[in-house]
Amino acid sequence: MQVTADTCAIFHTATVVANQALCREHYRLTLRVESFAPSLPGQFVHLCPITPPPGAYPSEPVGDGPVGNDRLSNASRPLLRRAFSIAGLRNAPSGVHLDVMYRVVGSATRWMESLAEGDSLSCMGPLGNSFPIQERRPLAWLVAGGVGLPPMLWLADALHRSGKNVVAFCGARSAELLALTLDPNQPPDHSARRATPSALEFARHQVPVVISTDDGSLGFSGHVGLALAAYVEANRTATDDVVLYTCGPERMMDSVAAFCRARKIECHVCMERAMACGTGMCQSCVVPVRDEADSAGWRYRLCCTDGPIFEAQRVIWKPIGAI
Amino acid sequence: MLIPVIQRTGTKPSIDLSVDLAGIRLANPVMTASGTSGYGPEHGKLMDLSRLGAFVTKAISPEPRKGNPPERVVETAAGMLNAIGLANIGLEQFIQEKAPYLEKLGIPIIVNVVGRDADDFIKVCARLESIECIAAFELNVSCPNVSGGLDFGADPKRLHGLVSAVRKRVQRAKLIVKLSPNVTDIAVTAAAAVEAGADALSVINTLCGMVINVETWKPMLANRTGGVSGPAIRPVALYMVHRVYTKVARDAHVPIIGMGGISNWRDAVEFLLAGATAVAVGTALFVDPRTPIQICEGLTEYLTRRGLSSVRDLIGQLR
Ligand SMILES: Cc1cc2nc3c(=O)[nH]c(=O)nc-3n(C[C@H](O)[C@H](O)[C@H](O)COP(=O)(O)OP(=O)(O)OC[C@H]3O[C@@H](n4cnc5c(N)ncnc54)[C@H](O)[C@@H]3O)c2cc1C
Ligand SMILES: Cc1cc2nc3c(=O)[nH]c(=O)nc-3n(C[C@H](O)[C@H](O)[C@H](O)COP(=O)(O)O)c2cc1C
Ligand code: FES
Repeated sequence: MQVTADTCAIFHTATVVANQALCREHYRLTLRVESFAPSLPGQFVHLCPITPPPGAYPSEPVGDGPVGNDRLSNASRPLLRRAFSIAGLRNAPSGVHLDVMYRVVGSATRWMESLAEGDSLSCMGPLGNSFPIQERRPLAWLVAGGVGLPPMLWLADALHRSGKNVVAFCGARSAELLALTLDPNQPPDHSARRATPSALEFARHQVPVVISTDDGSLGFSGHVGLALAAYVEANRTATDDVVLYTCGPERMMDSVAAFCRARKIECHVCMERAMACGTGMCQSCVVPVRDEADSAGWRYRLCCTDGPIFEAQRVIWKPIGAI
Repeated sequence: MLIPVIQRTGTKPSIDLSVDLAGIRLANPVMTASGTSGYGPEHGKLMDLSRLGAFVTKAISPEPRKGNPPERVVETAAGMLNAIGLANIGLEQFIQEKAPYLEKLGIPIIVNVVGRDADDFIKVCARLESIECIAAFELNVSCPNVSGGLDFGADPKRLHGLVSAVRKRVQRAKLIVKLSPNVTDIAVTAAAAVEAGADALSVINTLCGMVINVETWKPMLANRTGGVSGPAIRPVALYMVHRVYTKVARDAHVPIIGMGGISNWRDAVEFLLAGATAVAVGTALFVDPRTPIQICEGLTEYLTRRGLSSVRDLIGQLR
């Protein structure tokens, strides 16, 4: 069947089921859509407010004004869509429920903060590629920094279902910016040598966590890369058995990738770029990756359609001059 | 050829959305703006491109270009700033991989061309002219994001030289010159392009702009500056279409493709009234890739309500 505006399955009008504060500046938005194409952890949705369709205006002019003068209506809302990793997905009696988690940092996330149950918004998705799940490696380590947490929650679910032995490393600047529900009876280990069932969102999938905060207000004191190193040092796991997945600030992913390179650990990163279209049309979201087939040895790939998941050792982390 | 008409009920009169753009017949006046819908396949996954009046490609240069480093875009008030840097797959890869797809669409294809000098432009046009679905070349003499590009667009003499040089080498396909808004008087460059033999004018490309991060004291874009597009520039674009139409294009009988912030049928009507024969949708495609279809449906409803039978009844009818 030919793809037309009506048959293309990625356009959704989503209804807000819940918009719940998780910790300072962090929220979980649960959306209901009528249906959702088969999707996998790592994929994202592209969200924006609904612009009133032409039919929403009176069909006759009012006074001398043009019909449906909405010239100012967008002034306080974001124009472009924003990408959010799918943090969870389940079938519900009336469709599909999608979770996204966001931190309020700018115009779009401020708009999202104002959403209430029953509100509608425009949702495109699922978009992008997904985390590869490797048959031959029984262990999976998830390393999340700050708002890199959301895709790891759904990934933990999927990895657990495929029988993997999973440990999650979650870092935040301080305890009040960690968007996890802690079990008071299972305090995280300060030394990061041991993973504990401290976070309900992961414990639900039998995934223990190592928690770190930059200011030492919870768990290990230091950034999540150091927590990972401390854990590896203490446990001496056969690194050949491990796949590491990471999402967070680029500097953190860069250092995790370097850690994996030194120990020959397979590593996949979830990249973030400012995206205009999210669908491969505008070329705004480029990530430089090594490519032997290219005469310069590298090329730009699109975060939105080739990614957002990339093999860590192919990503060129240092900034490149314009070519 | 039948004109696609959106028939709501059997009783409504049929509305004619077709226009003639310098001899190119468009089934409707709505096209894509260069650089905002890739080379076709990317956008074709999201809407039926055969419903466009015409498809306009991302810029093509003789050799592939990697473009600028990220970040390449940042949102601004009611718009966005971009510095893609004309990243493109180059002429040969376009012919191998994209042209066959575009040929199947059955609509006029307009190839946006960019180069460092006249030879670059001629190389692309001469090589592509034999591809029949390519109805026109849109000379991008106005991209603000690569040094060299803007020089042609801002200097009427150089622009005249470029357009006449390309004109001599292009026989079948039409030549559209995409004008830069980053000039003192766009009517001057429009006149130069028309005198040099442009068959149509695209008005406008992005406006030079920048955004600075006040914490780091650095520009938000890696390229430092970029081009502003989206609803924020619409009044400026509309004025420039009006100016080019009244000062140059109307008397010279050269059609205008109006663009800049067009997001819905009302915006399109404004540009048509100001003198545009067709409109192009750019930034709005990022919000909804199906916007061109919605604009066509809205135009049909509008014409019906106004008791008009053809979209041509709007062109240049500003009172
Ligand atoms: C694949 C992918 C997945 C993502 N998943 C998530 C997710 O799960 N959760 C999540 O919260 N986010 C996620 N993001 C990021 C998200 O898309 C948004 O970019 C983010 O939420 C900020 O949007 P905003 O409109 O609120 O901020 P914007 O207003 O767009 O600002 C973005 C950032 O730039 C800064 N900024 C903007 N303008 C200026 C200026 N003039 N000077 C200085 N600083 C400026 C802001 O402070 C902010 O830090 C993801 C991105 C990608 C690409
Ligand atoms: C991301 C992006 C890429 C663009 N690339 C090109 C290009 O390759 N060639 C060109 O002539 N114009 C290019 N443009 C300009 C658009 O075609 C258009 O003239 C401009 O954006 C105004 O229309 P809009 O406000 O509807 O986007 C680009 C614009 C954007 C936003
Ligand atoms: S966001 Fe447009 S190409 Fe990736």
